[in-house]
Amino acid sequence: MKLTNTFIAAATTVLMASTAMSADIFVIGGKPDDPFWSIVKRGAEDAGIVVEAQGGSVTWLGPQNYDNLGVDAAELIRQAIDQGADAVVGPNWVPEAMDPAFQAVVDAGIPLVIYNAGGIEAADRLGAMNYVGSNDYKGGVAAGEYLGNAGNLNGVCINTLPGAANIEAFCNGFIEGITNVGGEGTVLPLPATSFGSATAVAQAVRAHLLQNPEINAVFTIGNVDSNSAVSGIAQAGKTGQVKVCGMNFDESILNNIKTGSQACAIDQQGYHQGYLAVSILNGFVNYGLTVPTREILTGPGVIDASTVDATLAGVKAGTR
Amino acid sequence: MMSTEAEDRRRVSGAFGRLARRPESGSFIGMIFVYVFFAILGGKVFLGAPGFSSWLNTAAEVGIIALPVGLLMIAGELDLSVGSVIPAASLTVAIISGHHDAPEIIGILAGLCVGLLVGFVNGYLVTRTTIPSIIISIGTMFGVMGMTLGFTVMIAGSTGVFIVPDPVTKALLGQFVGGMFQVTMFWWAAFIVVVYYLLHISHYGNWIYALGGDRESARNAGIPTRRLTIGLFMLSGFAAAFVGVGQVLTYQSAQVLTGQAFIFNSIMCVVIGGVLLTGGAGSVVGIVFGTLTFSIVNQGIFFSGLDPNIGSVIIGALLLIAVLTNDSFRQMAQSYAAKREP
Repeated sequence: MKLTNTFIAAATTVLMASTAMSADIFVIGGKPDDPFWSIVKRGAEDAGIVVEAQGGSVTWLGPQNYDNLGVDAAELIRQAIDQGADAVVGPNWVPEAMDPAFQAVVDAGIPLVIYNAGGIEAADRLGAMNYVGSNDYKGGVAAGEYLGNAGNLNGVCINTLPGAANIEAFCNGFIEGITNVGGEGTVLPLPATSFGSATAVAQAVRAHLLQNPEINAVFTIGNVDSNSAVSGIAQAGKTGQVKVCGMNFDESILNNIKTGSQACAIDQQGYHQGYLAVSILNGFVNYGLTVPTREILTGPGVIDASTVDATLAGVKAGTR
Repeated sequence: MMSTEAEDRRRVSGAFGRLARRPESGSFIGMIFVYVFFAILGGKVFLGAPGFSSWLNTAAEVGIIALPVGLLMIAGELDLSVGSVIPAASLTVAIISGHHDAPEIIGILAGLCVGLLVGFVNGYLVTRTTIPSIIISIGTMFGVMGMTLGFTVMIAGSTGVFIVPDPVTKALLGQFVGGMFQVTMFWWAAFIVVVYYLLHISHYGNWIYALGGDRESARNAGIPTRRLTIGLFMLSGFAAAFVGVGQVLTYQSAQVLTGQAFIFNSIMCVVIGGVLLTGGAGSVVGIVFGTLTFSIVNQGIFFSGLDPNIGSVIIGALLLIAVLTNDSFRQMAQSYAAKREP
């Protein structure tokens, strides 16, 4: 009995101490070994250096696997509340499963920032302070404007996954972007027989370019397709005339940007998602600081020849 | 005078009947049909070297897999695991020789061994159990897919791995000759020769037909059916791994999520080529024509000016038409030939 009392007293003291002056921030995210999420985590941890200097802490809560994502993530949010979080950051991956848990955070008076998924709509609906993340549609717009401004005004979006909502948003955004700067754009949807086959995608790009010689800009929806498109353009004998921009990047794409066979890549900059979300909450909990800008976009970020070296340094440092 | 003329006509039509009864004749007609169809819509670009190489490149990869898959279908078996052997082999090469910088020949041999191993497991399970091969190869397909993802993430920490191949390896397996003809098509030609020899010249050919016709009788006739089945599955695993190795050296990166389209594509090529789904009939030349038909349709869409949104519909419809022409032509030929019998 006495032991239990002491234990409770000690626990209360710890809780009191941690809630008094500093911010214990809980960040819900993906698996730490997921390549994208390890970058987001790095951003949160780097912001955590300041949090810790001011006496607080940053705790990363990620699921073991993605088999039951919505429910598992909702469970992690409730864990954060139970562990006495002063502030919570979380992605709204599966609104049906996760909204009630986020609601519990807000009801408990804990400041909340939604990041990575859900958009400003989710933040408004849940009463969160802000949304920090990228926007698929604007990613396409950025690519369209970049290629159009480079003088390549006739574009095509290679849609290797027709029907997927985020991919349609990329392509529609691309068409708007290239139209904004005075060009025009179309979508080339590929049949299911070419899914996951680099050769089929490369040959489709090449055939489309040969048949439509006026096209001089290609937008791809993922890093694998970017490599295929570069190959297809080379086989059509149009290297240099037709420029490629694609969503996401990897080592070989950065090398292609360096050598000039790819013009640019669009990045949602996950590092900023972790870094900014944690910084905003730390400033608010400690000193009542607010960021009046609603919907903080971390992407689209454009990587081209002028930023590729810094990006490569970021890859080595684990921030990109 | 009269009798000689009749004799002549009889001899000529007899030769025609023999030709028409060959299993590949129907698929040849189907191929000509789709080629003319897209030649009319696609025009000069489709008929020229760029169009030509475009569908040959596509045909070469799926063709290498369609050949042994066709042999298996003639022997009455199906192999769906080829779809996951492709990325498994690609990633084996990329991880061993790209991520770990081991000599490329080791990575390539290991990649090919992955295919042989999966083929052996398929064949072993098919011959030791009563489970149909379609179910077994679905099982191994998912097994290999899961292991590929699991090991890749565990070892490389990402779902894509990169490799910068040596000039020699690249020239042998991943080069574009003349900037547009993928070197894979020469390998496809080599596969055609080998599989043609196996099925139509060596004694294994008759064994394979016998296996597809009636397994029990084949065994009773002294054919080593178990060894033969395992060998055929290993051949299809090897061919899929070969395509995977070629892909990683061509595109210099291997991704977990590739290859699935090859499962249906290879079966389509084989069936268009006149191989019976039930086994026992088919030919290598037919499979080659079937593969070309499939690729012409696939690539033709992009040259034709048809709405690519409904591309899959056109592929489906034209393939059905090709198979129908094929079948009705075969029936016509057979009934014609039957009437000719005295």
